[in-house]
Amino acid sequence: MAVHTFAAIYIGSYEVSLKIFELASKKKLRGIDYVRRRIELGKDAYSTGSIGYELVEALCDTLSEFTRIMKEYRVDAYEAYAAAVLRDVSNEFFILDQIKLRTGLLVHVLSNSEHRFVSYKSVAMREEFEDMVKTSAAVVDVGGAGLQITLFSKGKVVTTQHLGLGTMRMRQQLARKSINLSQYELQIEEMVEKELEVFKAMYLEEGHIDHLIVIGDYMTELVRRVEKKHDEKTDDVQKFLRYLDKLGKKNLEQISEELGLANENDALIVPYMIICKCMAKGFGANSLWAPGVIVSDGIACDYAERNKIYKPTHDFDEDILSAAKSLSERYMSYSPHIDALTQMSTLIFDTMKKEHGLGKRERLLLCVAAILHDCGKYISFLNSPQCAYDIIMASEIIGLTHMEREIVANTVLYNTHPLASYQEVADKLDHDSYLVVAKLSAILRVSNAMDRSHKQKFKNVKAQLRGKELVITIETAEDIALEKTLFDAKTAYFESVFSIKPVIKEKRVYY
Amino acid sequence: MEKKFDFHQSEYYENRELSWLKFNGRVLNEAKDKNIPLLERLKFVSITSSNLDEFFMVRVASLKDMVHADYRKKDIAGMTATQQLAAINEKTRELVDNQYNTYNRSLVPLMKANNIQIIEKFENLNERQQKFVDRYFEENVYPVLTPMAVDASRPFPLIRNKTLNIAALLSGKNGKSDKDAVEFATVQVPSVLPRLVQIPSDETEGAEDQTFILLEQIIEKNIDKLFLNYTVLCAYPYRIMRNADLTIDEDEAADLLKEIQKQLKMRQWGEVIRLEVEASIDKKLLRFLKEELKVAEEDIFQINGPIDLTFLMKMYGLPGCDSLRYASYTPQRVPGIEPGENIFDAIRGGDILLHHPYQTFDPVVDFIRQAAVDPNVLAIKQTLYRVSGNSPIIAALAKAAENGKQVSVLVELKARFDEENNIVWAKKLEQAGCHVIYGLVGLKTHSKIALVVRREEDGIRRYVHLGTGNYNDSTAKLYTDCGIFTCLESIGEDATAVFNMLSGYSEPLSWNELSLAPIWLRAKFMHLIERETKHAKEGKAARIVAKMNSLCDEGIIAALYEASAAGVEIDLIVRGICCLKVGIPGVSEHIRVRSIVGNFLEHSRIFYFQNDGEEEVYMGSADWMPRNLDRRVEILFPVLDEEIKEKVKHILFVELSDNMKAHVLKSDGTYEKIDKRGKVLVNSQIQFCKEATEAAPKSDHIYRERIFIPAEPVE
Repeated sequence: MAVHTFAAIYIGSYEVSLKIFELASKKKLRGIDYVRRRIELGKDAYSTGSIGYELVEALCDTLSEFTRIMKEYRVDAYEAYAAAVLRDVSNEFFILDQIKLRTGLLVHVLSNSEHRFVSYKSVAMREEFEDMVKTSAAVVDVGGAGLQITLFSKGKVVTTQHLGLGTMRMRQQLARKSINLSQYELQIEEMVEKELEVFKAMYLEEGHIDHLIVIGDYMTELVRRVEKKHDEKTDDVQKFLRYLDKLGKKNLEQISEELGLANENDALIVPYMIICKCMAKGFGANSLWAPGVIVSDGIACDYAERNKIYKPTHDFDEDILSAAKSLSERYMSYSPHIDALTQMSTLIFDTMKKEHGLGKRERLLLCVAAILHDCGKYISFLNSPQCAYDIIMASEIIGLTHMEREIVANTVLYNTHPLASYQEVADKLDHDSYLVVAKLSAILRVSNAMDRSHKQKFKNVKAQLRGKELVITIETAEDIALEKTLFDAKTAYFESVFSIKPVIKEKRVYY
Repeated sequence: MEKKFDFHQSEYYENRELSWLKFNGRVLNEAKDKNIPLLERLKFVSITSSNLDEFFMVRVASLKDMVHADYRKKDIAGMTATQQLAAINEKTRELVDNQYNTYNRSLVPLMKANNIQIIEKFENLNERQQKFVDRYFEENVYPVLTPMAVDASRPFPLIRNKTLNIAALLSGKNGKSDKDAVEFATVQVPSVLPRLVQIPSDETEGAEDQTFILLEQIIEKNIDKLFLNYTVLCAYPYRIMRNADLTIDEDEAADLLKEIQKQLKMRQWGEVIRLEVEASIDKKLLRFLKEELKVAEEDIFQINGPIDLTFLMKMYGLPGCDSLRYASYTPQRVPGIEPGENIFDAIRGGDILLHHPYQTFDPVVDFIRQAAVDPNVLAIKQTLYRVSGNSPIIAALAKAAENGKQVSVLVELKARFDEENNIVWAKKLEQAGCHVIYGLVGLKTHSKIALVVRREEDGIRRYVHLGTGNYNDSTAKLYTDCGIFTCLESIGEDATAVFNMLSGYSEPLSWNELSLAPIWLRAKFMHLIERETKHAKEGKAARIVAKMNSLCDEGIIAALYEASAAGVEIDLIVRGICCLKVGIPGVSEHIRVRSIVGNFLEHSRIFYFQNDGEEEVYMGSADWMPRNLDRRVEILFPVLDEEIKEKVKHILFVELSDNMKAHVLKSDGTYEKIDKRGKVLVNSQIQFCKEATEAAPKSDHIYRERIFIPAEPVE
């Protein structure tokens, strides 16, 4: 039984960490070492917009120590991720380059969607998770740069939204401008409450949820103080709120001491407590769970699943599809046509496996594109493709990376528009992604043509490759003149991409 | 009706310096014990003497600093520094008198009876011996002497701390100056030469006699050869102790430190805090010394015998006198660890307890040694505090680094009196490629922990050694210490976290088993003591047994008083300082304190808590002293293995039944030996020696078939 040693490096807005894992297919994820060092990159990032020399120096020193530790454990692979703090600064590329030259580490800056997915993944891998999302739950991820809320209903993702209310960011933005501490607290509270109100109005039909799941640094400490058994879960949110109120009357030092925080004057705890208070109040949840997860766990889990060391416990693809569906519903574009289109396009995709050489992930993207292909009509019928592109790019779909979202949006766009040349889209898509977009949009366009009337006239569709032809056999009792005419017009694009011609064979059935 | 006590009031506490002097008195008691062989008794006298020196240099110096800094805060016993110094002075005089009485009245006659002569006065030498001594002086001593005279143009020289010197009064020979002009001269007794010089015996007394003379007597006899143009009126040895220590003793409060920093400029550097002279010293000479050294009357000790008895330690090793010493004890093999076999396999079989010096320290050295060459070992991490001169552990660590292992070593440079030594081998380790951490700012790393990370088939496995004593193979033969080998994952994780913390990373989110000072340990002890108190209040049986070197932490003592008041039975085995008082009605009636002073130095720290039947046993590197709990990195670890727990409890309970080497603290603050009448005699150290010998595997007697073992093919 091979044991895989994996290192996860995470560069957050106030902490840099390295966690070493052992991955083996039949065993649970085992963390064997975890070192953290406080480097407040956010301090520079959120006040000056770039990270200063000293902090970069400290960061590189720490990272090179990390490489020593990685060598010590003889790690097989590593992933080094940086959070929003690097994404938001002007000298991102220089820092990454320095890190690479000085430590040899390749650091990947997470886009917000990737970041949220990774931390979401670290919760979703826990056993309790599946039970909680069965009814209704919100996962709130409080980070230094932002706050992510992912809403679940009946086991499905409803939406995920990023709110720019990170602890570090708020501290840097408000602390200097407030007259005193209580005013500062009030300002934070006001900001958080306002944002939350809007969120609730948009997405929370029942007005409350059952379970609140909070991810973040201090949460576990807070909840453990409330529960006698030092549990990370409490069923009494009121008690938790009372405790927060009590704590709020103390000064920073006392709070840090009571919670046993390493840093005696941890200024982040105040914004953190206020955010927690607003969330606990605002969502009206019955239970509160603070799984002490850390981003590194999610990174390791993600790595293990990608490398087929683990079978995922939670169906993250399903999350993506359900998030896409609720997005589609939001823009009133969800209809039986979408299901038919999804079916049709996946059928063609599966038949063409050898010709397009794409995998499972692209199949998922195709489905998402099919689900969202019509959402632009909500804004403009004439300009629907471009509007759909914009909607998709502006919405978050948990689990999709930024590039993947770009692929989906472009697939939708070129479902209607003629495919732009690579040069024109090179700033958005890399070479490989461009090909994926071309292939997916070709498939989508042909499939779409087959249900032009949105009446699902075809039954028992079968597809088969015969030489240079893709033969689609259909059964229908209706007149399909419209589809047939349009179909021929849409096949040219398909042909140019795959060098295969789609052909419809009709089997008229009479009832 | 429950009476409320303030457990913190100062009359419930003993001053730590006075308690320490009592401890030194107990060591001296061993020198008086007629059942102990002569040379062992001499060794104990020597120990009391060197103990006292260290006490003056560190503690008395510190108190003097407080007086100079006008630091008025009282200690836990409610005494100011001035009051303490006065009390110490009185008690020290009693101790020194006692020391020399023992030496002069019991040990010298006994040495004579055993054919060992120490000639105290050179006047008593016979002719042959005189000739020998004179020749010895000319050949060996004279070349290294630096006599220094004091007159108008030559100021009083700097007399080095702790050195033995001879002071002399001279007068001009040829009457150049007027006759009253007396000059002063001093000469250091060279420390490079042995203090004890063996000389030919008086033939009339018997052939097997061994005769010695002290070096200063040889010099005194020949002192006129140093000052040829003068007449030596008189010459006497003397010794001074200076307050020359630049660092403040870490035991003192942090606010004191600030105070002293403020007063730094005003402080008289190198102030003499003790002057020892022979009792018969010339009055004029003494007056001169007193003035020149600016020493107060109360700091002069007139000694009735040879100054500085530490030379008796040399006597201990006298060849040919085995009958006057205890038979030397060989540390026994540890059951479960076969020498030469893979120690990691042995540890995987279950936790292993080591009890030094009854059991050998070799496995600990082997642990590092094997790790250094084991291809599966990834990393070795260890804390080193005081290490022996030619340490095999250092050699193994260096070798490991050369073999490409990641070796991290925390070297504590602040180990008292050991700094220089530590720097030398720390550099050596660095050269070999080890990652050396030079301690933490503001904290002494006193914990004893070694971690070996090994990559095995099913993943990383961590092997940990946790101990109560230093990684020092020499002292492990003399100090009683305990250690545990384990590969429990929970402890391994904590051990990794300890080293991460020591390397400057954030503290771990939580600890599994270990409790660390200075952050968590005090709370842990308080919790454990308070839990017993709670059990006692609920009417359950509650008991604490704790063994340590010193007990002087106010918070812990107050908690113990509270526990005792609630009915917890408390047995303490405290070798040295104990600021707790027993037998105070309503406060400490349930506390018993004993001190074991034996042939081996009691050094292990073991803590037992009854916990309503769910017994918990801990061991660690920390005493119940403020410095251990607040200003050092210490580790307390639980004994988790049931079998080992029983063994450790056994250690405690045998020591509680010791009635030969144990002194019991009485309510009047004195220590007394136990009345042995009608009791089975128990000497815990001897019993442990016996038990270790019986338990050791006797591999020599196993018949082994002689066969050649074919080597396995290399993969």
